[in-house]
Amino acid sequence: MDSVFSQLSVMGSSLVLIFGLILLWRRGVTAYISAFTWQSAVLSGVTAIVAYFGHDHELYWVAVALFLLKVVVIPRLLRRMERRFAAERELAPYVNTATSLVISGLLVLFGYAITRPLVALSQLPTRAGMPLAMGLVLVSLFVIISRKKALTQVIGFLMLENGLALLAVLGTYGIPLIVELGVFLDVLMGFLVMQIFIYQIHETFESIDVEQLNRLRH
Amino acid sequence: MNTFAMLLGPPLLAALLAAAVKPYRRFVGWTNALLSLLSLGAAVVLWRHILAGDVLTSGPLEFLRADALSTLLALCVSVVGALAAWLGPGMGGDDGYDGAQARRFRIFANLFTLMMLFAVVSNNVGFMWIAIEATTITSAMLIPLHVTKASVEASWKYILIGSVGIALAFGGTVLGYFDFVNLAGRQEGALNWTVLMASAPHLHPQVIQLAFVFILIGYGTKAGLAPMHTWLPDAHSEAPAPLSAMMSGVLLAVALYAVIRWKFVVNAAVGTGFTDDLFTAMGLLSLAIGAFSLVIQRNYKRMLAYSSIEHTGLICVGLALGPLGMFAAMLHLLNHALAKSTIFFLAGRVLHRYRTTEISGVSGLLTAMPWTGGLFAAGVLAVIGLPPFGLFISEFALFRAGFAAGRPWLMGLVLALLAVAFVSMIGHLNRMLYGAPAAGVTVGEGSAWPLVPLGLCVAALVVLGLTLPAPLRVLLTRIVEIAGS
Repeated sequence: MDSVFSQLSVMGSSLVLIFGLILLWRRGVTAYISAFTWQSAVLSGVTAIVAYFGHDHELYWVAVALFLLKVVVIPRLLRRMERRFAAERELAPYVNTATSLVISGLLVLFGYAITRPLVALSQLPTRAGMPLAMGLVLVSLFVIISRKKALTQVIGFLMLENGLALLAVLGTYGIPLIVELGVFLDVLMGFLVMQIFIYQIHETFESIDVEQLNRLRH
Repeated sequence: MNTFAMLLGPPLLAALLAAAVKPYRRFVGWTNALLSLLSLGAAVVLWRHILAGDVLTSGPLEFLRADALSTLLALCVSVVGALAAWLGPGMGGDDGYDGAQARRFRIFANLFTLMMLFAVVSNNVGFMWIAIEATTITSAMLIPLHVTKASVEASWKYILIGSVGIALAFGGTVLGYFDFVNLAGRQEGALNWTVLMASAPHLHPQVIQLAFVFILIGYGTKAGLAPMHTWLPDAHSEAPAPLSAMMSGVLLAVALYAVIRWKFVVNAAVGTGFTDDLFTAMGLLSLAIGAFSLVIQRNYKRMLAYSSIEHTGLICVGLALGPLGMFAAMLHLLNHALAKSTIFFLAGRVLHRYRTTEISGVSGLLTAMPWTGGLFAAGVLAVIGLPPFGLFISEFALFRAGFAAGRPWLMGLVLALLAVAFVSMIGHLNRMLYGAPAAGVTVGEGSAWPLVPLGLCVAALVVLGLTLPAPLRVLLTRIVEIAGS
């Protein structure tokens, strides 16, 4: 029973990480949005699996809230923004694809290195997935700093949050429900404010390329 | 009446009132100003409880809790919140903001104050995190109050870097919780400070250290610690003056508060060496970047922002110097909150008159606005650590702590960096104060009543420079006791 559980959770975590890596080699916000949607769906699934095997009914609510927020609401808002800015030309990132993939590979390895004490300490059958979650956190950070489009940065940020949510669910079977709901509310509000700012950037700069955001120096 | 309700209720009510009244009416601002005094009163009540030796708690599982550290921060936040309520847009007179902007300011500034107050009195690290994340959202909404290319850029950098930082702090919180759950199992109130502190000595050292690195980087981003400070000068210089005052004066302090809380837990788990080294390194780096950036500043609001980075660094160095250093750092935090918010309000008056943030565009400040110029000069002199202002005393205490801890080289380096900041800020100040005002700049104070509260703040700084009142000394001693227990 435990071995099925542990295999399922590792498989789920790997899928979550792989959807994060898509940001590195695909071009185009449309592909990023669907990668994020699928990633969130898998994350919600992993949460439900942990709820089932861990006999934790609160986690079902977390899985449902996650699904509604990150598979239904946020992707819909992202697609609406994407249609609005569809005419903009795609920009080459600061780091090319091959280098990006190499760096991400190293980051995932680094994730394994820093989570070693966690895996050694934990008794939970889900522990083997934690390094993958940490890897996703680090890769998302890299995406945020190496991309030039505001919308891509936002998707990188959302994936960073997915990585942290995965870490929480694998490591501790989820933080207390009431705190989790507060976190979801913050994610939603934060996303809405970022959306407002992207529209503002578009209006004042006539593009959402963050390379132009360089007036403020020193 | 419940003290916590009196503390948190007024900003919530004021925000709801501002949201309900559309279009904006002046009575909203005045009600807000009066309500802010109620919050301030509640913070003073908390202080009195600390002096009497008890710690107020409220709600199930001690949901809210105000020990000495929370109380100091609640005092700072409510003072600056009250200043922002009295001096913010929409109190009548020509302040450069229209009704819609005043309404937006009243809604979000009050929510911002509410979240900062909630963050410091929440006993639960999870809710503290939620509140600090919410401070990013509410304050970011106010940076582009005047939509310009520069303010839009500043707000984007702020929300992106701030959100990423705070997400990493969440990762650290999760790792800390992970450590706790592995030790004691899942239980009610596991994210409470009191519970975490009680079990801290048995936490797994490597895991809690990893958690602390995430927490320091995460909350450190919001506290303006180098090298994660890059959003700060932009946001502080482009934001409207009352918001700059709140961000520089107390938001940085609230973020530091979160780090300090976790520092207590980690110290109890692995001893003080680990956190002290990290604090010293990041503090020195922030001091250096702040000080050298001051040299090349041409914009006076950015100058004040870099000075905040420098002072945050100084507080961090102090926190790594044992009990005496902790005492000095907490006193410095209070002094800096008062001084920096006062100067940012004054800078707002200067900007409104001269219509430029360039230092070279402002000349003859003492002729054009004698009182504003005088108070601005006093504020800058206070910030660079001259007597008779409070910051001189706290910096002096910090140096004493450093020498007592046997770190003369460290203190020498800090002193050299402070000297760099001193010289460059004096130079910039001189260029602004003297000479003849540029053509087209009106001479005379304009509406003078806002100078009264700001003058009171400067007077308070002088008092703190001449004496350390007993109630304050007791409060700070209690904070040091928390660290030692």
